[in-house]
Amino acid sequence: MPSILAVDDSPSMRKMVSFTLTGAGYHVVEAVDGQDALEKAETHDIDLVLADQNMPRLDGIGLTKKLREHPKFKATPILILTTESSEQMKQAGRAAGATGWLVKPFDPNRLIEVIQKVLR
Amino acid sequence: MADTHPEGQGAGAGAPFDLSQFYQIFFDEAAENLDQMEHMLLHVDLASANDEQLNAIFRCAHSIKGGAATFGFTDIAELTHQMESLLDRVRRRELSLTPELVDVLLDSADLSRVLLSRHQDAETTEPPSTAALVRRISDLVAGGQRSPAGAAGNATDAPHRDEHVSDPVPHPRRKLVLRIGPMSNAEAADEVADLVCTTENIVQLDELPVLQANVRALLIETQLTDDELRDLLAFHVSAEQLGIEVESVEPSADGSSALAVGHSSELLEDEFFGLFSDAPGLPAGLVAERESASATSVAPAKSPTAGFEHKVGSAAHVEAATIRVAVQKVDQLINLVGELVITQAMLAQNSRDLDPRQYQQLLAGLADLDRNTRELQESVMSIRMIPMSVVFNRFPRMLRDLALKCGKNVELVTLGEATELDKSLIEKITDPLTHLVRNSCDHGIETPAERVAAGKPEHGTITLSASHQGGSIMIEVHDDGRGLSREKILRKARERGLGVADQMSDPDVWNLIFEVGFSTAEVVTDVSGRGVGMDVVKRGIMALGGSVEIDSAEGYGTRISVRLPLTLAIMDGMSVAVGDEVYILPLSAVVESFQVAPGTINTVAQGTPLVRVRDEYMPVVALDKLFDVPRAACRCRCQDTCRHYGGGRSGG
Repeated sequence: MPSILAVDDSPSMRKMVSFTLTGAGYHVVEAVDGQDALEKAETHDIDLVLADQNMPRLDGIGLTKKLREHPKFKATPILILTTESSEQMKQAGRAAGATGWLVKPFDPNRLIEVIQKVLR
Repeated sequence: MADTHPEGQGAGAGAPFDLSQFYQIFFDEAAENLDQMEHMLLHVDLASANDEQLNAIFRCAHSIKGGAATFGFTDIAELTHQMESLLDRVRRRELSLTPELVDVLLDSADLSRVLLSRHQDAETTEPPSTAALVRRISDLVAGGQRSPAGAAGNATDAPHRDEHVSDPVPHPRRKLVLRIGPMSNAEAADEVADLVCTTENIVQLDELPVLQANVRALLIETQLTDDELRDLLAFHVSAEQLGIEVESVEPSADGSSALAVGHSSELLEDEFFGLFSDAPGLPAGLVAERESASATSVAPAKSPTAGFEHKVGSAAHVEAATIRVAVQKVDQLINLVGELVITQAMLAQNSRDLDPRQYQQLLAGLADLDRNTRELQESVMSIRMIPMSVVFNRFPRMLRDLALKCGKNVELVTLGEATELDKSLIEKITDPLTHLVRNSCDHGIETPAERVAAGKPEHGTITLSASHQGGSIMIEVHDDGRGLSREKILRKARERGLGVADQMSDPDVWNLIFEVGFSTAEVVTDVSGRGVGMDVVKRGIMALGGSVEIDSAEGYGTRISVRLPLTLAIMDGMSVAVGDEVYILPLSAVVESFQVAPGTINTVAQGTPLVRVRDEYMPVVALDKLFDVPRAACRCRCQDTCRHYGGGRSGG
């Protein structure tokens, strides 16, 4: 069962993502912000990271940079969740080493579809 | 733009999800975010707010918007989106945080709360209109922007005050993919698309296929910059409803060329999702499909030997620090523990007279039960304990509005916000405290002119404090205003026909303001019709098993002290025996108990016995007479005497 690290500072978004992915047969590890995600990433086997962009302490792009510095995560898919699908944001994500981006709000079914595609 | 999602926006790809199960979490979270935003807006120093503070405020609006949009509360999403746009400009330092801006944000937070509670109550009421606030905010957002083009959409007519007017270097001609939407419906998307096509300086080359009816994608050629395009459409689409992607850039006349950001940098893309072609973590199949020839490196740019810089805490940091539990569950637990405590107390009471030699083990077991029950009771009660800050936090906002209305300068100081109180008490004390704080501001604090004339600082100060005192909590509302006027209160009391005497003690005079219909407005100030019935306040506090005391000095201020039991759920008592009968006094009402030595009781003129305790005389109440217990049944022993709060102290 692939493990997904779901990082979002909003409890409702976290719950929704977690519920959606668990229902689709994924194991979900939740983290409340980038910093928390780094700690969770060290102790869990993670197959994909789904990170919100705007978070306190450490944002999604910052988290991506930090994860890419670690050998364990050099090739792990990292998707950034964002409400701003600006070119600037995308380029920042790309430069940080993100695999892709996903715009909020999203349909739960769509999320599963995207994850399946990336974990294929 | 590779369209790899023929099935559309995932609809029908799986079972429909019932998002309503997350609504409550969202409501709680949004309420917290609103409170937090309000708190920060009220406490931030407008002139010197730092990035971290501005970002934190922004994030509150941002989070609510994200959730509201996800869960389909479009009115909240729309309003918070506006707030977010405004705050985004503030955090980018394009707008400064002015009192006007704070006002509009606070009003928006209020309206958001109304909208939230309406959704929470299953939308039974008429929806309040957000239009006025949305307009106010977008005016503010636009006010800080380089003047956006008029609704006619004629970019050439739009006045540009800034450097773009005088900029002699023509911008390079670019091919852009302009993505419009998602709009509220297909017509709205068409309207904006038509507007773009009819605008001078924009040549539409093609319309690209899109998945949703309310989104349009246009391939255009223009010399306008991204900012100019955004300004042009600012009235029709929000920043997020407009996507601008560069297809190609033609060098301008002077040969300079903007950095071409190849649209092909994304491997898979639609409006909602994209993968970067050379990014780490791509699925092998997709990479192979795409990159048949070129050897794309999957290795990250940085050295893989580098570990995490941040290694904070250990793995023991478990999933979440808090859990949300329904209040009913906690209440049920408390009720059960309450029953347990009563059973334990009964066992303890009934086993008191057992012979310790014969029942050693039973008594030891009962002692353990006693200790464990107490600990259990304390732990369970602590679940319901909420810090006073929950109540105090509403006052900065209220005082700010009230002070503005009364033309006064009031500063609020809060102390002991971490002091905890039972949830049910917190809920019930909020209204009486609000009355007291409002009274302090309204009647206590003078106008700046009066204060200066009286040699006081222009700023009045209201201090709210909470502290534990034994089994009760003491909440004080203290102001450095004009204080109560003894003379006026006595005059008013006489007018009302209350029996008063000039030689009454100060506390007795102050207590008169708790009389029914004794309007504080007429007593303390000449402002009429604003007085809040202090009798209501006192009754509310008494109903909670608490008491109120007033201390005031004319010209110096007033202090109102409210004493409350820590909890109403389980109350300890002190049993008092009179003859064969046993009475229980709530422990929260007991100040101290002591033995009265025979001969320390004196009787004064009306036959009232008084006992002297540390140079203070207190009346002694004979419980046998009070409760009419036959004297014969009373064993003559030393009298245990205690003092209690509420309406004076007495010994018994």
